This record gives sequence, C-alpha cells and structure tokens, in this order.
Amino acid sequence: MSTALDRCHKKLTPRARLLVVAVFVALVWAVIYPNLVVLVESVRGDGTITLRHYAEFFQTPSELRALWSSIWISVATVVLSALVGIPLAFLFARYEFPGRRVLGALAAMPVLLPPLVGVIAILFLYGESGIATRSVQTVLGLDAPPWRLQGAGAILAVHAYSMYVYFYLFTLAGLARFDPAVHEAAASLGAGRFRTLTRVTLPLLTPALAGASLLTFMTSMASFSAPYVLGGGFRVMTTQIFNSKLQGEVSMAMVETAMLAAVSLLVLWPLSRWEGSREYVALGKGTRAARMPVKSQWAAIGVPLLACVGVAVLLLPHLTLILVSLVPDGTWTTQTLPPEYSLENYAQLFGEARTLRPILNSLLMTSAATFVSVALAIAVGQLVVRWRVRGRGLLEGMLALPWALPGTVLAIALATTFSVNQPWVGRFVLVGTAWILVMAYTLRVLPLTGRAALAGFRQLDPSLEEAAASLGAGPWRTLRRITIPGLLPAIAAGASLAFVTGLGEFVASIVLYTHRTRPISIEILSQLRDFDLGAAAAYGVLLMVLVAVAFTLGQRWIQGDRGAAV
Amino acid sequence: MSDQIFLELDRLTRVFAGTAAVRELSIGVAEHEIVTLLGPSGCGKTTTLRMIAGFEHPDSGRVVLESRDITGLAPQKRGFGMVFQHYALFPHLSVGANVAFGLETAGHSKQGIDDRVTRALDLVRLPGIEHRSVGSLSGGQQQRVALARALAPEPRVLLLDEPLSNLDAALREQTRRELRTLVKEIGITTVYVTHDQEEAFDLSDRIAVMRAGQLDQLGPAEELYHRPSTEFVATFLGRAGAVESIVDGKADGEVVRCRIAGDVVWSALAPEVDVGFVSGSKLRLLARPEALTFASTDDDAAVRGTIIDRRFAGSVYVYTVSVEGGKLEVQTDGEAGRPGDAVAIVPRGAPVGIFAFPPPLQMSE
Repeated sequence: MSTALDRCHKKLTPRARLLVVAVFVALVWAVIYPNLVVLVESVRGDGTITLRHYAEFFQTPSELRALWSSIWISVATVVLSALVGIPLAFLFARYEFPGRRVLGALAAMPVLLPPLVGVIAILFLYGESGIATRSVQTVLGLDAPPWRLQGAGAILAVHAYSMYVYFYLFTLAGLARFDPAVHEAAASLGAGRFRTLTRVTLPLLTPALAGASLLTFMTSMASFSAPYVLGGGFRVMTTQIFNSKLQGEVSMAMVETAMLAAVSLLVLWPLSRWEGSREYVALGKGTRAARMPVKSQWAAIGVPLLACVGVAVLLLPHLTLILVSLVPDGTWTTQTLPPEYSLENYAQLFGEARTLRPILNSLLMTSAATFVSVALAIAVGQLVVRWRVRGRGLLEGMLALPWALPGTVLAIALATTFSVNQPWVGRFVLVGTAWILVMAYTLRVLPLTGRAALAGFRQLDPSLEEAAASLGAGPWRTLRRITIPGLLPAIAAGASLAFVTGLGEFVASIVLYTHRTRPISIEILSQLRDFDLGAAAAYGVLLMVLVAVAFTLGQRWIQGDRGAAV
Repeated sequence: MSDQIFLELDRLTRVFAGTAAVRELSIGVAEHEIVTLLGPSGCGKTTTLRMIAGFEHPDSGRVVLESRDITGLAPQKRGFGMVFQHYALFPHLSVGANVAFGLETAGHSKQGIDDRVTRALDLVRLPGIEHRSVGSLSGGQQQRVALARALAPEPRVLLLDEPLSNLDAALREQTRRELRTLVKEIGITTVYVTHDQEEAFDLSDRIAVMRAGQLDQLGPAEELYHRPSTEFVATFLGRAGAVESIVDGKADGEVVRCRIAGDVVWSALAPEVDVGFVSGSKLRLLARPEALTFASTDDDAAVRGTIIDRRFAGSVYVYTVSVEGGKLEVQTDGEAGRPGDAVAIVPRGAPVGIFAFPPPLQMSE
C-alpha cells in the first residue's frame, strides 16, 4: 500500500517546511531566474520594452542560417547516430562470438572522451595534417590532403562518432529489458525474423529509441566544441552566440540565447511526449538488423570480424590521442607518424604550478559542483517522492530544465545575471570568480544527479523507512541510517556521471573562465592554439583517464552494493 | 473477552480519493490477546493496521492505548513492533544490525544491545547468524529475522501484516504454529492481518472479519464458524451451499423455519441481529456440508436434487447437489453416488450449521 502511504501526509514539521522553502528558493534563483534575466535583457531598449532586437534577428540572413544549421545538423546527427548505434547494439545483443564482451564494452568508449577531447583527437587523426589524412595522401601519392576536416560534414562526423553511443546504449538496455519469451511467443505464432523485428522488437524498443533520439538531438543542438573547432565559416547557434558575446553585441547575444533556448524547448516538449508512439517508423532505423547474416558459417567469421573492425575504428581517436601525447614539442612536422616519443609532456603537466593549475581547478570545481548537486537532488527527492509537497511537478521540472537548455544558454544567462551587484534582487557579482563556474557546473550536472536521486527514491521500498520508524527511529536517523544508504547505488551512479561531465566541461567554461580559474578543457584549447599538440593531447589523455576512473569507481560502488542487497 | 481493553480502535475512518477504505471501525483488543483482521484483499485490513502503527492517519476516529489517545502520535514514538509483508529488512545491514536497529534508537548500552540481539535471535530459533547478510537468508529465515527485529525492543503491541504470505505452504503452516506459541509465550498483545482463513483460525484468540472497510463480525473462531452474523462471514469462513427460501414462521429463540425447494421446511439459525423475519419474506438459507446428509428419496423432510460434482477431500467426500433454488453441499464419509445421480438431502439433526440470512438485495442499505 505504498500509494496509500504517499497519499497520507503527516503534517510537515517547521524544520521540514523550512527545507521545502529553501529548496524552492535555491532552485528558482539558480535555474529560472538567470533565464528570465536573459529574456528581459533581450527585449530591453532604452528604458522601454522593445522587440527591435528580435526583428533584427529575423532580418539578418546569417542569423537565420545559423538557426537553420543548428536544426538540420541535429536532425542529421540523430539519423546518422541511429544508423551506427542501433545495428551495433543488435550485433552485440544478438550474436555470441569470441571477444563479444570485451568488444561490446569497447564500443561504448567514445563516451570516455569529453566533447572537446573527442574533437581534438579526431583532428589529430583526420585533420589536414592528421595521421589518417597523411597516410592516405602518402599511399595515393597526392599533392594535397585528400579531404579537409571542416564545415558541416566535419561537425556531423564528429557528432555521429560521439553520439551514436546513446543509440547503442539505449538499444542495448532496451533489448536487455524485455523478456526473451516475447520472441519465442512471436516465433510460436509463426512470425519470421523480419515480422518479429518489425512487429515485436522495434515496437518494444520505441521508448528506448525515442529516448536516444531526444538525447542525441538535444546534445547536438547544444554542441559547441565541434562547430567551434571545426566549423570554419559554418555557424550554428551556439557559436553564433559566443561570437556575438565576444564582439560585445550584448542585445543580439541575448536574443540568440533566447532563440536557442526556445527552439530546444519547442523540440523537447513534443518529442518527450511522443515517447511510446510509433516514432521508429518515421525515423526508419533498424531495418538493417533484419539483413544481418543468418547463415551460421558466414556469421561465425563475419560477425566477429565486423565487430573487430568497427571497434578498431571507434578506438582510433583514443589511440591517436595517446600517441600524440607522447610526442615532444616541435618534433613532428611533415611526417605521417611522429618520429620521436617521450614522456616529456606528462612530466611537464605535473611538474609546473602553471600547468598543474587547470587540473586542480577542474578537480576542485567539479567536486564542489558534484557535492552540491547531489545534496540538492536528495533534498528534491525527499520533497517530491516522500513528502509529495505541493509544486513537486515544478521541482522536477526545475531539476530537468538545465538539461533542456544548451550549456551556452546557461553560461550566458549566468554571466549576464551575476555581473552586477544588486543584492536586493538576488544579483551578485560572481563573474570572474570560481563560484560562477561551480554554479554553472552544478546546474549542468543537476539533471543527472536529480534523475538518479528520484529514481533511487522511487525504487526504495517505503516500508523500509516505516520499519525504521516502527523501531523508534526519528526522521533524521531514518534518513541517515536507512534512506541514504538505500539511495547510495543510485546516487553513486548519478554522482559519477556528474563528476565525469563536470571534469570535461567546456561549453559553459569558455564563457565564464578567467586565467586564474581556467579548467582543463580551456587549457587544452590554449595549448592547441600555441600548436603545442603534445601538451594538449596529454591533458586530453589525463581527462580520459580521470573519466574512466570515475566511471569504474561509480560502477563498482553500484555493484558492490547490489551484491549485498536482498 | 472480559479483560479490560488494552488497545482500542474507536470508529476509525480512512478515505482514499473519495472512497472509504475503512469506515467507522471499532475494535477493542485485550492485553495479551491475538486479534486477527481477516478479509479479502481491499477490505481495509492493511489500512487499519497501518493506522494502528501510525503510518496512516485516520480521517476520523481514534486509536487508544491504555486509555491514552495516540491517534496523532508519530510511529516512532508508539513503541509498536511491526512485521511487514515483504519483511522490509534493511538490505545494507547485517542480520545483527537489523535486529539491533530498534535497540539503538531506544538507547541501550552496547553490551545490552548485543545481549538482546542474541536473545531475540535465539527466540526465533536462529542463533548465531548475527553476521550474515540478510540477502543470504532463505524466505523463512528472513521472516524470522523480521520478527526478531520487531520483538527485540520489547514492543507493547506487535503488528503483523500478512507475514506468512511469502512462504510456501508447508513452511507457512509450521511457522504459524511457532508464531502463536512464541507470541503467547511472550504474552504480547498482537494484531495480525491476513486473508487466509486457516491462518486466522490457527493463530487468533479472536477474529475480526472485515468487508468493504467495515467490521462484519468479531469473535472467537468457533463463534464465527457456528454463528456467523452475515452470509459473507458464513461463506468466507468455511464452505456452505445456499438456496432460496421463504420464511414459514418463527420457531423458538433464534431458530427460524424456512420453506425450501417448494414444500420442504428446514430449521435454520437466524443471525443475532434479528431483522424481523416475517412469514412469507424471502431469505437465503446456507448450510455447511457437514450439517447435511443423504436420505432415502421418499423422506418428506428431504430436498430432492441431482449430484453435479463430487470432490474427494481425504477422509471425506463432498458432493455438490443442484436443487430447486440453488446448490447444496453434502459431506459424507464414504462414497454416496456419482454426478447425475438423483439424491435426497436432509439435515443431520438440530439446526447446527444451517443459517438463514436476508437476501443480498436487502442487505445493502
């Protein structure tokens, strides 16, 4: 009778009420308020309200082009990622072959590369002077590089590389979730492979595919690293905003920010409602799975081979990054492969205060952000799931909102709101301090920890808490001894994701950093600008390792706890 | 029970989304007594138990413990032990830590806690498993640890919410005997919730039969079985066939004469709550299988019918017989016919196990 429990509400104690008010105020102030400031700024004329800036936006071809580019790039990214991720998932989910487990895990490796690191790794590999590019040029004896990694095509390639993982993981999870008996049932009813796929498997996968599409679309809309580094003259909204801000066109930056936010929310709303519809038909994915080899001899050789080659391609950027990180400054000029290797770059990384600074900055700011976002998420979970306070929908919405808003939007909103000192309206000068970065990171990871905490609370059997109460434990003791330990697996998962996201954060950082507070990603960029590729790669490898460690620890914690669970 | 009331539920009402899950429920439990709340799922028995525990707040009515109103008291301040349906053992704590949990909140010394944990585990016959993880226990062991955990702080009242429903049949039967012995040994006042009639019979001093949020009848098992106050109680506790009948005058005391299957008149026990059975009014006559027997077909007091089903129940046979106006069940020691046979049925003797109730239509107010 958990529903009965939920409905019955003990009246909240004054201290609990205080917590409710504090959580609401904190979230409204941090999540909603800065966006409202942007909205207000975007319609502010000389002391009046004006739509002049919006009119200007819609009359400027380059602005409209950027908006359109953002949208079509995102749609194309969804399609491409699906085409890579879904078949790959079917391959690993449906076929047993030597090395399946290892290869299957490796196929998710792009997730270890923070966006900017992925971009530079691909640059080192396929860029104009990249290893792959030079190899092809040498083999074919060409005078010029066979391709240029620039413009929309380059952005799309990077997007597909880093985001197919969403489709891959969602599809795997979707396939793992449903009972294999449904396939047997379909077979016993006379359905062949194709019919089973189209009538049973894909409909059952629809929620997973809709979720992956949504995630890919939103990530692509918010993508900044790839367009910024590889875009050249090709502009999308995020880079457009950044440029307006750089050039001091404040009002236009506000309008662009508002437009990007509006488009993101406009897409999010119907798409998230669509979950559960037959969306997969419209997207036309997955038919490839039906054409998968059926003859066992063919499959016995072909499938593992395909898996190996595929995974090798997926891992090349990681390997390149490691390779380049071993190249001493200035030794690699026109050769296909770097001629010299050493650990010099790593020694330098940890040897000097100047180069160590970004690492410490990232670790400290990310730890702080993770801690705050976890605490907030637990508080919201308690309010929403246990106390079922009024306005819990709003609370959940505020937790999720930073996910729907691109990082650039968030950063611009924070930079605008917290650049003046007006304490009576909740505005303080935070720009230039580490706090604004901590705040940005906290908001960016809040949806991750929030979702984890809510799921944790919902899975936690309320009768455990009742059992504690029946044994005389008060609310505080119950929270400490029962609720939080019970939530640990979920929180560990959320926190490790949050930590990983924060470590590699680039999009908001580039708007908010100062020299003193620069995180690793910014340092990578500046090393790249100085053509110190080795140092940039070494930072990239470091990030990759930190991310891998955080993931593994989070995972171990989850499993360790599950082992002891009933 | 003549003892003074220890735990009193006073006109408890709990409404969920406009529907009363429990309505005006009053039950008094004496000290050391085991009272079972028995009823089908959705009858409000668990909600009632949760109101006693304090997890559910009644919309009206009171929970009174030893003349003290505890309706608004937080669960953790009531000092009631509870065993949950799925045990709710804390998965991240060892068996010992689970049992110690309530003792720690009560502020016992470390040594005192250890001693009591040992004693509690001995009590449920699981000595020496303090360090095991709860995940490594079998269902029956988990159930006993949950009981030990609830009993360790020496609660004033023990509440059990279908604690045996997750055990297999054989274990369930054995456990409920042990449970009764244990609870009686300690002498703790107990409220037990179940939908299983046999369990209620085995365990309880008194049984409260609940239906649709209300109390149908409260009494010892024998009373409920032999003198059910509603048709629901009669059929929920034990088997009974039912036929339409017409009142043919009142006999002495609680016995009413009923005409069934045309012109046969049987005597039946009318419920204590006499609704004024008037000659000619319709009643439903219920008969327990053991109250009836087969007779020769020329017996004037016999109801004639056709066997439609025969069940072998070990020591006895139970026949289902289609008669005019309904179906009757007859229990015999030996075989007495096969489906399709024409038979005649008579009561074994005094109106024991034959009841008359107002038809359902009039019952629903």
